[in-house]
Amino acid sequence: MPERIDFWGIPENWGSPAFYVYSLMFLAAAILLIRFYLRARLWWKVGRPGFHWNHLLQRLGRVINYGILQTKVLSQRYPGLMHASIAWSFFVFFLGTGLATIDSHFYKILVGIPYLLHKLVMDVFVVIFFIGAGLAVFRRFIQKPPRLTISSGFTWSLALTILIVLGGLLTESLRLAVEKPSWAWWSPIGWLVAKLWISTEASSATLTNWHLVIWVAHLLIVVITIITLPVSTLLHIITGPANIFFSNPDRKPGRLSPIPENSKAEPIYSDSLRNLSWMQFLSADACTECGRCQDVCPAYAAGTSLNPKILILNLRDALKQDASSILHGNTNTHLLIGEWIKENALWSCTTCMACVYECPILINHIDTIVDMRRHLVIKGQMDGELQAALENFGRYGNSFGQSDRMRARWTQTITPKIKDARREQVEYLWFVGDYASYNPTLSDITIKTAEIFNKIGLDYGLLYDAERNSGNDIRRIGEEGLYEMLMEKNVAAIEKCHFQTIITTDPHSYNTLKNEYPINQDKRILHYTELLDQLISSGRLKFRKKLGIKATYHDPCYIGRYNEIYAAPRQVIQATGCELIEMPRHAERAFCCGAGGGRIWMPEGDVKERPSEIRIREAVELDGVSHFIVACPKDITMFRDAVKTTGNEDKIAVKDLIELVHAAL
Amino acid sequence: MKIVVFVKLVPDLVEELTVDPGGTTLDTTWLRMIINEFDDHAVEQAILLKEKTSTQVIVIAPDFDGVDEVLFTACAKGADQIIKLTGDFSSINNHALARAVASRIKILQPDLVLTGVQANNDIDGSIGPALAACLNQPFVGYVSGVTLEDNTAIVQKEYPGGVIAEMSITLPAVLGIQAAEQPPRYVAVSKVRQVMKTSNIDEQPLDELDNSGFPEVTRMFQSETSAHAEMITGSPDEIADRLVSVFKEKGILQRTNR
Ligand code: SF4
Ligand code: SF4
Repeated sequence: MPERIDFWGIPENWGSPAFYVYSLMFLAAAILLIRFYLRARLWWKVGRPGFHWNHLLQRLGRVINYGILQTKVLSQRYPGLMHASIAWSFFVFFLGTGLATIDSHFYKILVGIPYLLHKLVMDVFVVIFFIGAGLAVFRRFIQKPPRLTISSGFTWSLALTILIVLGGLLTESLRLAVEKPSWAWWSPIGWLVAKLWISTEASSATLTNWHLVIWVAHLLIVVITIITLPVSTLLHIITGPANIFFSNPDRKPGRLSPIPENSKAEPIYSDSLRNLSWMQFLSADACTECGRCQDVCPAYAAGTSLNPKILILNLRDALKQDASSILHGNTNTHLLIGEWIKENALWSCTTCMACVYECPILINHIDTIVDMRRHLVIKGQMDGELQAALENFGRYGNSFGQSDRMRARWTQTITPKIKDARREQVEYLWFVGDYASYNPTLSDITIKTAEIFNKIGLDYGLLYDAERNSGNDIRRIGEEGLYEMLMEKNVAAIEKCHFQTIITTDPHSYNTLKNEYPINQDKRILHYTELLDQLISSGRLKFRKKLGIKATYHDPCYIGRYNEIYAAPRQVIQATGCELIEMPRHAERAFCCGAGGGRIWMPEGDVKERPSEIRIREAVELDGVSHFIVACPKDITMFRDAVKTTGNEDKIAVKDLIELVHAAL
Repeated sequence: MKIVVFVKLVPDLVEELTVDPGGTTLDTTWLRMIINEFDDHAVEQAILLKEKTSTQVIVIAPDFDGVDEVLFTACAKGADQIIKLTGDFSSINNHALARAVASRIKILQPDLVLTGVQANNDIDGSIGPALAACLNQPFVGYVSGVTLEDNTAIVQKEYPGGVIAEMSITLPAVLGIQAAEQPPRYVAVSKVRQVMKTSNIDEQPLDELDNSGFPEVTRMFQSETSAHAEMITGSPDEIADRLVSVFKEKGILQRTNR
């Protein structure tokens, strides 16, 4: 019966190979752990400790999903296949070697069929590994996409992994070439290579000697890989899953982390490495430098100084360079904000969440960016335009610097007068939002929305002048106090009303109302696209016309990625008789218009190409699409401008989804 | 050194202003009061001086709706003491105010008094010179930069037409601030809220106001618009042509012969 032989071909006079091998491995593992510990302890010695173990099962589930099955990695075909083939092969090799150890010292399992299967599986994964490694070599040395870090560290790691697998394959094949067992085909690749050795007609002794040399080399390469792992690019094998494990499992993406506080309940601002959390350093050391975040970042695409990947890597470098000075009480280190991370980069973020969605190991760039913005805001370090906007919010509750009494001016032409939800009971409370209320170019759309609600016979009302900006983006600018002030005013006004459901036309308001406002749990919050979709399926909203337009739909970040509303707007568009053609980047991967996170109140700065222009160019590439449909008031202004500046006025028209509904009624 | 900044609240012009049925003052029902923009600059200038020369900064304001927030904001920016003058300010004028405030300032004995150079509700002249007169101190207005040296202040004063004069003035003195050396800083709301919890406004009642010298307002009214705007429509070229001819008619544009 075929059976596994321990340490085949090791000369007898070498004593016990098991002793050497295990001592060596044990030593290597000890060195790895010590080196890793020396690195990792900086996370909580420099940063703020605070470990969270709650939701253990959920955390483990996430490690399995994202770390082992690598579902996020696989969501991009080429790099996904590449990485998963390499990683899964190593999981299998690791398990296979573990099985062999159990077999030789504890319990004989690798006998007969199980042994043959073991051989076969290992061999199949050798093939899978080489496919992955081949893809990696091609990508790293020929394709060279800009998002990759082209550095020797990655070449080393790739070379080491290839050498390890190659070493395993060669020793196996040499053994087969000498032994020529009848079951050799169970190791198909090993046997093919063995045949090569056999064809050289070398003697068994020569082959056994070669085997010995390669076996020793294989062992040493494994040892080198293990010892160098804590300083190599392979470190992410440990830190990646650790980051996945420790990332907060029960936080909705739409709910921002509050400002951290010290034991005296004083706020901690991220102005120095000392004030970052250990998790932020873990994330920095876990970053695989895959560059997915860079690839999808609208701020990066626009040519601003923000690159989410570099932002995370800057934290890594900062820790590496400044940790020992900090621990020795030396204050003469680089400024975290201003030197390591540039203020401009922080202000360039649109908080679109594309990076967070894309990151395979669940790094949250936005948390770090907003934390650092909070520090800038408390220091008053910001651009004058943004300052003026914030002062307007503080004084008037809107960025337009207009009186709150003007908020509902757009309702003047509507009959019958829209109910005042503060005085009358309504089913739906419509939270209109600043842009739809104050921007004169949008009042047409806001009025149409009201007309549709009237036609359907919706029982709805407004907060009138008691509504304030919801504060979603103010919070993301980092002005937490102002956010709280606006939120408290809105909540106080909302709590006085009798209603069942809040509807919003503004995705940003929707997000914070739904995920961050302390509003009574039994109140529903709907985006108007959700409401319309429900009314269509219940038969309350019927269309008389089929528009017959070819249209594409732009997912607003705060409705799409943040709140995963993808189907409702699409169903409404199709119900109006439009043919929906998707842009290459849609749904979870939709490309931001560039207005979020407070960007709309900041000067644009040096941009190569505005994100909104990039997006319009993407849309006009679609065959025959004449309408660009949005579901966010800010999008209307952003994209109508972009259509003009890109000279596409005769090709595509930007319309709010409500305009389609209005036209089809 | 000690600097006193006098700050007052003025009607916010964002709101529509209406005249009281009596016809001599503004209707206050819908009035929103905000800090006088120039006073805001005066506070900023005082804080800048404090940062350079560690002077003590005291901010004083008469009690109007919203004054607490203004004072706390000044405190959050770095003011050491905030004083609210209480009393009846319903028919206030700068003559009466200057007398009353000067009596308070005298007690504080500051080296320098800063205030905004003007305000949109200065019916009877700006308050700076009136304060200076009551305190019997020198006054410079339209100041856009201050440096302190022992018992003198070197100030930059802006004149129309872009001329700036630098002059030295012996302290104590009163300055009317046109602009601080840098725009008023932003204070985060949480900082103001924090200050509200930890600092106190020093409330000081004012005695009877002395209105003498204030001219009587006989009628207040919205200015009637006489001229009307001409809307130019048409293609960009037509609009440009029309604009050029209007400019020529008005003598703004002249033909140049080369
Ligand atoms: S949130 Fe969007 S803009 Fe900000 S770093 Fe991530 S991808 Fe870039
Ligand atoms: S932050 Fe995440 S997505 Fe970006 S490079 Fe690092 S691992 Fe990749």
